[in-house]
Amino acid sequence: MTLAVEVTQLSIYADEQCLVDRLSLQIRLGQPVTILGETGSGKSLLAHAIAGILPSGLRQEGHVTLFGRSQDALSQSELEAMWGKALAVLPQEPWLALNPIRAIDGQISEVGECVLQEPSTHSQGNAQRQLDRLGLGEDGNKIPAWLSGGMAQRAAYAAATYAGAPLLIADEPSKGLDEARRDQIGALLVQHAQCHALLTITHDIELARQIGGEIIVMRQGQILERGDAEQILNQPRSDYAKALIAAHPSQWPQATKHRQTTPVLSANALSHRRGGRLLFNQLDIQLHQGEIVGLSGDSGSGKSTLADILLGLLSPDSGKIANPLPRGQALKLYQDPPAAFAQHVSMGALLQDLIRLHKLDANQIPALMNQLNLAPALLQRPARAISGGELQRFALLRALLMKPRFLVADEPTSRLDPITAAQITQLLVKYAREHDAALLFISHERTALERICDRIISL
Amino acid sequence: MMPRLLPLLGLVLLAALLSLVAIDLLYFGRDPALQQLQQVFLHPSPDHPLGTDQFGRCNLARLSAAIQNSLLMSLLCVATAALLGTGAGLAAAWYQGWVDRCLSFIINVLMALPGLVLVLLFAALIPGSFVMLYLAISAVLWVEYFRLVRSATLSLRHAPEVEASMLYGFGKGYILRRHLLPKLLPDLLSLACFGAASAILALASIGFVYVGLKPPEAELGLMMVELLPYYSDAPWVLAQPLLTVFVLILSFNLIASGVRHDIGR
Amino acid sequence: MIALLKRRLLQAMLVAWSVGTLTFVLMHLLPGDFAYRIAAGRYGYDQVNKLAADAVHVELGLADPAWLQYLSWLWDLLRFDLGNSLISGAPVLQEIQHQLGHSLQLALFATVFSLLIAVPIGVYCGKRAKGPADQLCLMISTLLRAQPVFVIGLVLVLIFALQLGWFPVAGFGGSQYLILPAISLALTMAALSNRIIRNNTASVMGSPYMQFARLKGLNAEQAFARHAAPNIALPVIAFVGVQAIALIEGIVMIESLFSWPGIGHALAHAIFGRDVPMIQASALLMGLLFVLINTVVDLLGYWLDPRQQPQPKKRGAQ
Repeated sequence: MTLAVEVTQLSIYADEQCLVDRLSLQIRLGQPVTILGETGSGKSLLAHAIAGILPSGLRQEGHVTLFGRSQDALSQSELEAMWGKALAVLPQEPWLALNPIRAIDGQISEVGECVLQEPSTHSQGNAQRQLDRLGLGEDGNKIPAWLSGGMAQRAAYAAATYAGAPLLIADEPSKGLDEARRDQIGALLVQHAQCHALLTITHDIELARQIGGEIIVMRQGQILERGDAEQILNQPRSDYAKALIAAHPSQWPQATKHRQTTPVLSANALSHRRGGRLLFNQLDIQLHQGEIVGLSGDSGSGKSTLADILLGLLSPDSGKIANPLPRGQALKLYQDPPAAFAQHVSMGALLQDLIRLHKLDANQIPALMNQLNLAPALLQRPARAISGGELQRFALLRALLMKPRFLVADEPTSRLDPITAAQITQLLVKYAREHDAALLFISHERTALERICDRIISL
Repeated sequence: MMPRLLPLLGLVLLAALLSLVAIDLLYFGRDPALQQLQQVFLHPSPDHPLGTDQFGRCNLARLSAAIQNSLLMSLLCVATAALLGTGAGLAAAWYQGWVDRCLSFIINVLMALPGLVLVLLFAALIPGSFVMLYLAISAVLWVEYFRLVRSATLSLRHAPEVEASMLYGFGKGYILRRHLLPKLLPDLLSLACFGAASAILALASIGFVYVGLKPPEAELGLMMVELLPYYSDAPWVLAQPLLTVFVLILSFNLIASGVRHDIGR
Repeated sequence: MIALLKRRLLQAMLVAWSVGTLTFVLMHLLPGDFAYRIAAGRYGYDQVNKLAADAVHVELGLADPAWLQYLSWLWDLLRFDLGNSLISGAPVLQEIQHQLGHSLQLALFATVFSLLIAVPIGVYCGKRAKGPADQLCLMISTLLRAQPVFVIGLVLVLIFALQLGWFPVAGFGGSQYLILPAISLALTMAALSNRIIRNNTASVMGSPYMQFARLKGLNAEQAFARHAAPNIALPVIAFVGVQAIALIEGIVMIESLFSWPGIGHALAHAIFGRDVPMIQASALLMGLLFVLINTVVDLLGYWLDPRQQPQPKKRGAQ
């Protein structure tokens, strides 16, 4: 089978720091290769190195051979001539990779006109056929802002592959997509891989499982293990691969159901509209002490809006909360941990503010920090100098100080790497139960909700 | 290295102009309007370090008075505009409703006309009045503060960090102190520097078209038109107010560029 | 788009109202007998007497309460009845018509010149951001921006008119009179706009969609023409609207400096002579010119940027 890419002993350095350490791999037509690892571990740099678009300031060692031609021997213009025709890149952020002010059909068909020198009517026909095949037949005249993330990803796929490159590099293709849309793009890649060479870079083990072929597990630029997809995903050898696989919601233990006790909050007949669209109508919700309730739905379906109404931040169009909780008893954990803290002071100062306001006992902080595995030195730092996982634990600590009766967690782990995300979720569930708080857990990951929640509300 | 040096250069330039004023006040202290017609266009000498003008008035005294006029005007206008604009912007964004609608209406009226036209119309009400010009320039300048503070506060008001503080029971004062002001400060400071430059520019502009401060007042724009006819006799006298306006505006612009770099992360 | 036009129409009304109110106040602040001045404006100071002044007094309704006078002042304004000049006595509208044409001519040439200077420089520097040429441009722009427009004009006059004698010092006539004022305005505007264009270009060139366009297979020229240029052009067009303020303020200054017979010159002149009807008319037209420029910019932006347009429902329904 034809060898598309051969990478030998590739290392990438930023100054003295090694971002990718002596990586070798071969990609052949019909045999997909997947690099699996956490975000920010240097995986994407590999894609850039193969395409020859490594940002200036990074140093590359080792060899990359594309279709039998060594990258070192290629001039810049010869390398650029391979883009589109020999190698295609599926971008990480499809929304940003498409020109924001042009309809997508033109952005696909122009590849035919400019690269393959086809007559424009011919390219337009081809582009339309591609769009039809990808389920975007009606959407060709739309600009990216009018497409969903999944639609934009498919449009970008059509544009990237139009010129017929035998090699496709897909960089985090499932980023930001929910399970159903991830499966869609996965299916597309599987189909593409049948007669093309495919290199996928992802942190998503379900996508890796779907694509199959060879998997290389990487962390901080180091290869931890590599082998056949089946074998790696079912019998991982490295600790990291084990942790990564165990962190996936499908591997979580099923929580024991909580029996319903005293109600904390009841809302009757809630209805709300946004931009003329009815989000929910005549919704009754009751939350009990120690109960964990999941809230799922597509983006824009009103999950956060409902939570804000329950928290008393927003008045519903109709309906009401029967027993609104006093301020400080209904709290929220946010999706983007650094955004939830004042930026210009240290965590210690913020906690002091809270202690002074509510006359809390400051002595409980060291013990809680210890339980949540937070180093005392972190108190000196401002939020943006603390990692997302630690910050989310700080958010939990801040909430626990108040002994809240109702806690909303709004996608609290979607910006965290899978292993940290699993840890945070487990901690949240544990403390909500221990403190008898009602926890409303918002997520677009249905599997995760099914594992941890007593019941799920779908919008 | 460049961006660190530039604001410093701005401060040095401003300090140089201020020391010019100080030298005049401490060692000479002449009346800038005092005419000595037998001493027209004297070249610089120890007695008149910058020479004299077409009426034999001491250039140093006139330049020093003009710089004081410009700086006083800009200081007053910026302080007024900053306080008024920040306060009104916070109120409009926080209370919304009719407060916001009223304030935004006033802003729309002010923005319907280019600033200088508005200043000219105000200047026409009471010609040659420093107070009128102060009111007019402040009225134009506060618009920027209002718009900046209002939009920043509107977006921050529902930002997770502010929402979280509200959920935890913190009041408006705390949110202003901890969340809003630290975020707004760099922008407010750079706006203040640009505002000072605009005020100086506006004052000189209307002086230049003869509708600002009246002779014998020493004012940079006015000095330029007055000296223009004598350009061939004494180009170096005409150059003095030209250079002064240039250095004043440049120094504030340079300081503004540094404010953003140093405070904004 | 209707909302956009409505907003601009409202702005035009606000211009008229604020100009009308300020000039009304101004009229009443004028020293001396108001009717006498109007009468003098009408018949000349030699012919005016108490009788004529009294007739004007009655005719203008000056015996009416202030609020009624205010309303009738605004009503006249709404009908575009702007009265006669207090100085020349001629109908203001007649005088101002020609002046508006001259100002429009100057504004148009200044804007075109500024774009001719700023666009090539901005795009060139944006493609080579942080390079030596970019640093040099930054320095020149910073120095130019610290100059009030009339100082630039003054320096150009000193060099090109008085020293070299290439152009006339001031006045109005053939194209040689237009060059210096238009260039002065253009330099002031370009000093700022070339940096804006440079920043846009740099961010567009580094954008993910430009990289993706190259990776699709387009060469550098194709990618620039098809993806970078339109995305650079949009904010540039919007910035022309922002610069309308600088343009109109500059027109007041530059017309006065060059004795260019436009509405800016007329405004400064009228304020100096306290000729209220002329002040009203020229300020009104400057304000309306400002609104007009912004309206054109808005419409262009709407037409060129699909993000501002409503989303098409079905294919072919565009």
